[in-house]
Amino acid sequence: MAFISSGYDPEKPMEGRITDIGPKHYDQFYPEVIKKNKGKWSHHEILEPGVLVHVAESGDEVFTVRCGGARLMSATHIQEICDIADKHCDGKLRFTTRNNIEFMVDSKDKVDALKADLSQRKFPGGSYKFPIGGTGAGISNIVHTQGWIHCHTPATDASGTVKATMDEVFSDFQDHRLPAKLKISMACCLNMCGAVHCSDIAILGYHRKPPILDHEYLDKVCEVPLAVASCPTAAIKPAKVELANGETVNSVAVRDERCMYCGNCYTMCPSMPLSDKEGDGIVLMAGGKVSNRISAPKFSKVVVAFLPNETPRWPSMTNAINKMIEEYAKGARKYERFGDWTDRIGWERFFDVCELDFTHHLIDDFRDAAYQSWRQTTQFKF
Amino acid sequence: MAETIEYNGKSFDVDEDGFLLDFTQFTEEWLEIVMKEEGIAELNEEHKLVIDVLQDYYRKNGIAPMVRVLSKLTKFKLKHIYELFPSGPGKGACKMAGLPKPTGCV
Repeated sequence: MAFISSGYDPEKPMEGRITDIGPKHYDQFYPEVIKKNKGKWSHHEILEPGVLVHVAESGDEVFTVRCGGARLMSATHIQEICDIADKHCDGKLRFTTRNNIEFMVDSKDKVDALKADLSQRKFPGGSYKFPIGGTGAGISNIVHTQGWIHCHTPATDASGTVKATMDEVFSDFQDHRLPAKLKISMACCLNMCGAVHCSDIAILGYHRKPPILDHEYLDKVCEVPLAVASCPTAAIKPAKVELANGETVNSVAVRDERCMYCGNCYTMCPSMPLSDKEGDGIVLMAGGKVSNRISAPKFSKVVVAFLPNETPRWPSMTNAINKMIEEYAKGARKYERFGDWTDRIGWERFFDVCELDFTHHLIDDFRDAAYQSWRQTTQFKF
Repeated sequence: MAETIEYNGKSFDVDEDGFLLDFTQFTEEWLEIVMKEEGIAELNEEHKLVIDVLQDYYRKNGIAPMVRVLSKLTKFKLKHIYELFPSGPGKGACKMAGLPKPTGCV
């Protein structure tokens, strides 16, 4: 395609340059009823999965219809979202912190038309474009990352694993049958962009092989001290290496027996790649939460040490997640989050009922704090 | 990933972002190449001071200085470094000084 200028002059890059104007103020995009009743809400109610009503002190009502989004979406799809908002909601809409889409209307009789419109929209492949749900004690959208779409350090894919998982738990997106809400998150490497460290169930990309060293380029493209300092277990040290052509170069040496394949060094140094088709896979974690309700926030804990990358549907992963959710739904009491349930019944019982293998990989061995995770009591169940 | 730029009889191996792949290839001609890319009209003493400090620090320590260290060594505030190098200390000054491309979550 031919080049079309926006008016920017590359000869004078600083001329007419606008900076530091920040995002637009959110109040420019309020629906009328939200603007009018801001800060004066009296109560709310979940009418059915995916539909909420907020009632203001003035008696005004706003009905919210929440629907799932794939997060990664085309401009065409956003255009369609805008068309829906134009048709039903005076052109206003919002996205949630779990990347769902919310359409708001100001009276009850507009809800049915909106719902009917949303539920009949499907992609040619058959999947719902705007499935309604994600409220209450169900499973909302999966917070996830870039994966093989865009990032250079992933150990698994994000969009693929998330689609496979949401297909598996779709009925819970549109239902409230669980004891409490269950948040699933996904990160494609243990940088853990997003919420995997604090989610009820978390999917995490994981490597199992140490980095490969490209000695010829390492000192040229990397700042060696940064690579050394990036290692949490001090497995990396500076080294002089003789290349095949007899030339001696500065590089690093990795002690493989100290390396736990975190990939931090690759983040800092492009000459230390470590992704590997068979080696890479998925770790499952469980029991985290961020809210302060009843119990304090918790980190999620590793419950499955490794599952292979089985593109495109990750069946072992979705099976394990399904089993955990079913046992949680069966065993937990009302209002108990996943971690509250495991804490009450004990982790040994959790591994029992979920039929998950407890391997030595799950026992913390990272520095002093590992000691606190061992059991210093005689209290346990056979 | 690598390509070679020819300029005034000198050749430079660069990556797709225009960073030198080998610090030892740095010459005065490299400054002129990057000046055009970065939209810097002419190099004054202040530009040269920043580049000298970066190269000196890199030779001694093997890393680029942190922004606060660069500020302290040059006595330039960050704002002034941006005035000198509109793309900033990493994409602008380090590239011009021939240092490796900044890494991490940038």
